[in-house]
Amino acid sequence: MQILRRLSLALFSLVFCGAVNAQSLTIFWAEWDPANQLQELADMYTEENGVEVVVETTPWPDFQTKTFTELTAKGTSFDIVVGDSQWLGAGATGGHYVEMTDFFAEHGVDKSMTEGTVTAYAEYPKGSKRYWAIPTEGDADGWSYRKDWFEDPKEMAAFKEKYGYDLGIPETWAQLRDIAEFFHRPDEGRYGVSIYTQKDYDALTMGIENVLWAFGGSLGDMANYKVQGLVNSPGSVEAIEFYKELYQFTPPDWGNTFFIEGNQAMTQGQVAMAMNYFAFFPALTNPKINPHAENTGYFANPAGPKGRFAALGGQGMSINSYISDEQKQLAWDFLEWFVKEENQYKWAEVGGFTCNANVLKSDAFLEATPYNKAFMESMFIVKDFWANPEYADLLESIQRNLHEYIVADKGTAQEALDNIANDWEAIFKKHGYSK
Amino acid sequence: MNHTAAPINPAQGGLSDLSIRNLFIIPTIVFLILINVFPLLWSLYLSFHEWRANSADDPVFVGIQNYREVLNDSNFWDTFTLTAQYVVYAVIGEVMVGFGIALLLNRSMRGKGLITTLLLLPMMMSPAVVGLFWKLLWNPSWGIVNPLLGLPNDFAWLSDPDRAMWAVVITDVWMWAPFVMLLSLAGLSAIPQYLYEAAEIDRASWWFTFRNITLPLVSPLLLIAIIFRTMENFKQFDMIFTMTGGGPGINTEVNAIKLYRMAFQQWDTGKSCAFAYIMLIMVIGISNIYIKYLNKAKQR
Amino acid sequence: MAAVVSQRKKLANRIMIAAVLVTTFIMLIPIYWIATTSIKSFSDAVAVPPKIFFQPEMTGLVKVFTKRTQLRAPKYKITDQTLESLEADGVPGDVLVELAAVGKLYRTESQFTDAVNEALGPERATDYLALVVRYATISDPTPEKYADARWYEKLIYDSGEKILRASPYPNRLWNSVLISIVSTVLSVAMGTLTAYGFSRFRVKGEKDWLFFILSTRMLPPLVIIVPLFLMYRAVGLIDTHLGLIILYTAFNLSFSVWLMKGFIDEIPVEYEEAAMIDGYTRFEAFRKIVIPQSVTGMAATAVFCFITAWNEYAFALVLTARRAQTAPPFIPSQVGSGLPDWTAIAAGTVLFLIPVVIFTFMLRNHLLRGVTFGAIRK
Repeated sequence: MQILRRLSLALFSLVFCGAVNAQSLTIFWAEWDPANQLQELADMYTEENGVEVVVETTPWPDFQTKTFTELTAKGTSFDIVVGDSQWLGAGATGGHYVEMTDFFAEHGVDKSMTEGTVTAYAEYPKGSKRYWAIPTEGDADGWSYRKDWFEDPKEMAAFKEKYGYDLGIPETWAQLRDIAEFFHRPDEGRYGVSIYTQKDYDALTMGIENVLWAFGGSLGDMANYKVQGLVNSPGSVEAIEFYKELYQFTPPDWGNTFFIEGNQAMTQGQVAMAMNYFAFFPALTNPKINPHAENTGYFANPAGPKGRFAALGGQGMSINSYISDEQKQLAWDFLEWFVKEENQYKWAEVGGFTCNANVLKSDAFLEATPYNKAFMESMFIVKDFWANPEYADLLESIQRNLHEYIVADKGTAQEALDNIANDWEAIFKKHGYSK
Repeated sequence: MNHTAAPINPAQGGLSDLSIRNLFIIPTIVFLILINVFPLLWSLYLSFHEWRANSADDPVFVGIQNYREVLNDSNFWDTFTLTAQYVVYAVIGEVMVGFGIALLLNRSMRGKGLITTLLLLPMMMSPAVVGLFWKLLWNPSWGIVNPLLGLPNDFAWLSDPDRAMWAVVITDVWMWAPFVMLLSLAGLSAIPQYLYEAAEIDRASWWFTFRNITLPLVSPLLLIAIIFRTMENFKQFDMIFTMTGGGPGINTEVNAIKLYRMAFQQWDTGKSCAFAYIMLIMVIGISNIYIKYLNKAKQR
Repeated sequence: MAAVVSQRKKLANRIMIAAVLVTTFIMLIPIYWIATTSIKSFSDAVAVPPKIFFQPEMTGLVKVFTKRTQLRAPKYKITDQTLESLEADGVPGDVLVELAAVGKLYRTESQFTDAVNEALGPERATDYLALVVRYATISDPTPEKYADARWYEKLIYDSGEKILRASPYPNRLWNSVLISIVSTVLSVAMGTLTAYGFSRFRVKGEKDWLFFILSTRMLPPLVIIVPLFLMYRAVGLIDTHLGLIILYTAFNLSFSVWLMKGFIDEIPVEYEEAAMIDGYTRFEAFRKIVIPQSVTGMAATAVFCFITAWNEYAFALVLTARRAQTAPPFIPSQVGSGLPDWTAIAAGTVLFLIPVVIFTFMLRNHLLRGVTFGAIRK
């Protein structure tokens, strides 16, 4: 029995020791390059201020789950979360995030960061001028492509002959489609494009957003929670029919793909163009990982008949409202340091996608990587999904219905969109947004 | 079994038998009630409420609406059929492979112990980790499965809507056929040798011996193996979750994964509790059969 | 005739043994593959077609234990130090003066060489270009830093990344060890007591209680995961070692009771009776007679409990995030950034599987009993 006594002692000390953790800040994010880059930046902060900052990561598929299990448990295992823009509503109305409106005013964050990113990553409700996060990693969908294929004179000539214009970076979605069709040669093991098709969380929807707005489609009137006639408008129908057309130029069995598959398709030399978030491109520039690193180029979304848009990715840093006041102070100190322009330069230097307007436009940023220029262009055409607390329900319906139509090939575009509009209307009604 | 309420009075100064008995048994029972029964009651309560665990609102009583929604959802029946298919295919595969290996192994040979142990390795591993590394094996380009089967390197498994389930089933068979093998071996080695000798003298064919001696004598254990595996597969979560995450689409989204998504991705807490209860009722059905056979086996 | 038959039987036997070996071989391929992937290089791990023979390297193992970031492309700038080094290599002064005018920072080699060409004119440029580029390159790591780096840092540099800090993997493994061991000790201890209680005393409704204990193990974990999560949240057990220990203890308890009851039933009750006649109390008899007799059973039960706790995934996934996270939910999180790094995943997996392999060999004689709840004995 003595063993038991000793064990229980050891156990207790363990449980309580976990809580004592002086002068250390934990930032929670998903597992990807930007998190490592943030760690590198945070190490600079540690060097200057002596406060240890650890960036903890979890894989993308669990990131949402992990964050909200922790927040709803009023947990304190992280002080800052670099959360998705869709979470703002849940974070703000659920009392999980600390409000930052005063901090924004004091440090002029809403002035120094670009307007689009402030609205997308920080503000909730939209238009209220209340802020809940510091725009941290700007991100949007863009494209990587095979420069060597595009610049091959033989291919260029053949393309010109077939389509009547020069092969190059597509300026319109129609051109992108032509190029995809042109390079789609299954018997050579080459395919046209990689696009998002996964049903999990938000993957397919993020891919479709890029074309949806460009074709005049809509996700609804976000100010008045009106969806009928917008979500299922002719523009939306045209957009998802177009996306389905692109789907036929993907490698075989491309019905369960997201960013990983997009990058894999590039490194394996399978596709001419791959849709992906800019933040996933660093791996493509590493020749040890991507044998075609030298021949990989990048471009921003092309335009559609109704304009040029990009689905917003990216995250902002929010403070967990359940941590102690001392920890909150540490968090504020770090954020204060982070938003300073000189440190935003450092952030860009280590590879982060800063949202600071001055840094974004600087040569240092634009030349830092082969994709930063396309990124900068994209940041001016971004639009986002709904950010109210019921976003998960909205995503569930749109993901299911679109996947049914595009990948499973069931029903028509109009039917899929009608279903979504009906579901969404019911959700808004149920939660009292509309009558 | 040894049922003796010892008639002997223990020496003085010690605890009475009754208090020792209570001291030994009650904590365990209380502990198990606390961890298992109490949550069950709570989730029963929640299953009649509309509530999201990630919101600050209180649960709202909605009667049987959650159950109605779950049962009326066409996807629910798809998921259920899918789970049933997976269970049936996987169990058939496990029995055929496991029993097959057991028949082969049931002879005296050098290194039998070592080989048996090596064969048992897969089932001792963490299903989550098995799912993860099989994902590597199934990769059409650099996985080992396609070259071994002589398939081209664009023959997709996990991303193909039809083949994904087969990949899951095969992985499951790899992992759990050893379990069936273990039980079958136990059954086979218990068959008295003289029965075979007698059959040989009668010049009985291999098939006749198998059908009339081997199979009937092994079948009780084989049946237990089947029930065990049916139950376990019905609950399966880890391996499929790390391997396919339920994808592509919902082609491998078995009950448990759907429940996880409902509860922790869509945060539909009330509805997920209702779904869990429907699952529970099904499991109780299967476990009743199982317990019956277990008791039979114990009496053997 | 008999000889023919026995010869035919011998042949059949040989074929069967060959079939056994082949099957074993096939069953072990996945394990072999994951083990070798852990010591492959990134490019070998994703080589098409897959590589059977390869140059082993430790990069994957180093990766599991580190957090890394991609190296950035080198930059080019002519600094005072560049000029000094060039002078030391005998570059004439007029060239240096002209080079000094190329002060700007260049981010690609081609831009930089263009600038140098322009400054020096094509003829002189060809003579000195290589040297100039060499001294003007600002790379991370610098050649000196690379030369001074430890072997594992070099491995990571060679794979195009650099190490930022240690990864939490050792901590996760430690959590796994701690939680598994403590919960195992608790469930075996409680299980042994309870099994003794059921084995030696008359309990009203014994069958029903035992069935209740068994049925807790039948419960699909996901069915109670939601209320358990809420319960843990209410009492603050989320992401604590204690939380998982309690859970795994409960999880293994039913198993432990059943298995131990089987072992204790086999110990003749007469031993204790004799001891008690000699003046032992019931408790002393239990401690001094029953416990020593059931040590083998306890050891086997313990290893089974340990493996179950060690392998558990679903609860660990939902109920822990960081402080108490065990290895199973952590290993898949090493999927890397944008591209799964199979060498690291494989290395993490192999390290995690080693204890299980060892225990499986230790347990081989008890496996049957263990995996069937003690229902079947050989």
